[in-house]
Amino acid sequence: MRLLLIEDSKRLASLIRDGLQDQGFAVDWCETLNEVKLLRQLVQYDLLLLDLGLPDGDGLSLVRSMRRREDTTPILIITAHGELDDRVVGLDAGADDYLCKPFQLPELVSRCRALLRRPGASLSTVLSAGNVLFDSSTRALLVSGNLVDATAREINLLEHLLRRTGQVVPRPVLENSLYSMENAVTPNALEASVSRLRKRLKMAAANVQIRTVHGVGYVLFEPK
Amino acid sequence: MKKHETAGPTLLRQLTYRLAVFTLIFAILDVGLVVWTYTSQPEALGEQLLTLEASKLERSPFLSPDELTGPPGARSWSARAVYPARANPDHPNRSGSLMDWTRRERLEHSIRISGVRRIERGGSPEWVWMELEADSIRPYIPVILNELLTHVALPLVPLLALMLIFNVLAARRILQPLRQAEREIERLDAEKMTTRLTEPSAPREVNALVRAVNRALQRLDDTMVRLRSFTSNAAHELRTPLSIIQLSLERLPESDHRTELQLDVSQLNRLVGQMLDLTRADTMEFDTGTILDLADIGRDIVSDMTPMAYSANRELHFDDFGSAMVSGHAEAIYRIYRNLVDNAFLHAPGESPIEVSAGPGPQISVRDYGPGICEADLSNIFEPLWRKDRRRNDGAGLGLSIVKRLAEAHHGTVSVQNMNGSGALFTVHFQEGMPESGDLKQTLPS
Repeated sequence: MRLLLIEDSKRLASLIRDGLQDQGFAVDWCETLNEVKLLRQLVQYDLLLLDLGLPDGDGLSLVRSMRRREDTTPILIITAHGELDDRVVGLDAGADDYLCKPFQLPELVSRCRALLRRPGASLSTVLSAGNVLFDSSTRALLVSGNLVDATAREINLLEHLLRRTGQVVPRPVLENSLYSMENAVTPNALEASVSRLRKRLKMAAANVQIRTVHGVGYVLFEPK
Repeated sequence: MKKHETAGPTLLRQLTYRLAVFTLIFAILDVGLVVWTYTSQPEALGEQLLTLEASKLERSPFLSPDELTGPPGARSWSARAVYPARANPDHPNRSGSLMDWTRRERLEHSIRISGVRRIERGGSPEWVWMELEADSIRPYIPVILNELLTHVALPLVPLLALMLIFNVLAARRILQPLRQAEREIERLDAEKMTTRLTEPSAPREVNALVRAVNRALQRLDDTMVRLRSFTSNAAHELRTPLSIIQLSLERLPESDHRTELQLDVSQLNRLVGQMLDLTRADTMEFDTGTILDLADIGRDIVSDMTPMAYSANRELHFDDFGSAMVSGHAEAIYRIYRNLVDNAFLHAPGESPIEVSAGPGPQISVRDYGPGICEADLSNIFEPLWRKDRRRNDGAGLGLSIVKRLAEAHHGTVSVQNMNGSGALFTVHFQEGMPESGDLKQTLPS
């Protein structure tokens, strides 16, 4: 995983870079939009971490020009501007996520992972959380290294949750994944599937938790 | 608009007072002139006296001349009808007439006035002979009064009334720009300092005043802009060093000391964010014209805050009670929710759940299971920087005032009630009724 960090505060940049490197990411760092241009000609990056206020221009112009050229490299904006319209403007320009300074490293890491896990992103097909491991190409589910048997429906559900570990997955998204598999789904089919998946994970001594977020959806948490 | 206490007499009163004084002086002069004129011409006065008496007969068709009482204060008085034709039956022209005449004679102690007057009653002429003796001015008083009425009061009173009306209208018209300016100043809003008064083309004096007020407003506006941009820039500039501190702390070996520092930094972060929010809410520079479903935003906030709730072992619930469509600004409404949920996290203890909802209708609410809010604090909780317990340093007390400002920017209201059992329920009501189209811009509250 090769990330490009574009940030003009040297001290902040080195902290972010060190933190991400500790988490196993390869991070290049530059300070200006010009350098970004040069570096991107040499290296294919999997994710851009972009500060908006740069010495030689506005980071948003880079986002816009990349999207115009149909470059879909994920972009995470990291900025001190967290005001009412800034997030919307950033996402409208084509950024994939928006993180307001100051932030904690785990949050940055989880957002990076989430962006890299997105379908189309080039992260490997293996998703993991806690002692749960899932290979999305072979559809194999392992807990503590042991293969666990589960129905296609449950596997599908788990994949959605794993792709957004720590983030709430809305009910409609999960329901759609069930509908896509079968024509007739009873109103509480989702609850039933989640409940079976929970039981199965518990039996296998998985240390992840699937929480119900009443009125919104479900979320999978890694052990604290 | 609120009616304010006004001081000083009204324009109408001032004008009326001045005109009355002016008229009084004029009337006194006029009266003096009339009285002087007649007393210097006693013949004319006697003539007028008889004419006045005769006119009483003319006004009452059935009164016979003998019944005339004469002027008050006369020593003697007599009157009778005179018939010129009967007086001279042999006269060939029976329709002959008498001339009016007056005679004034000086007696030993008095004046005698006699004469004939022609009067017209029921279409036919009559003649009346009158004679009186007077030894004082008294019998003349009605005549003088009559003269005053016709020569002083009749011309002056309408003139006075007309002048008053004209003056009041003219002054009102001239002062109209001042009233306009007053209304506009009344509508000025400290939150929206870009409004200026309309400069009237005339009169020059009012124009000068209005322009001076506008210049003062401009200076105030400049100061406000500087202050706000300073707050905003300061907050932005603080964020990078705060990030550095926060990330550096994470790299330190774990200890109680580190945890404490991390907590301090996170409170500082929150404060900086809230200062920015408040600055932004104050300037109200956002468009509340997007049609939104409050439930969508409610689900977002619950999704976004679930990880935090999870690490605090708390549960966040969301309920959609339906038909919660409003015209607003999505991020602003998100901040309203966010600050309410933050507030619930801070004030409800332990692992109690927090319930977030949207609807029914254009409203959102956040309910906690904390101690609720005591009556005495209800009026304070929405004030910026107010905190129940200043010794606690878990917040600067900006959250609820941000909620209030943002709700007001949507023409909404915030209310809070203590729930039976325990907990507080904060509700934000948005404007009823969906706008026809999505281009409802913010209007200046009047």
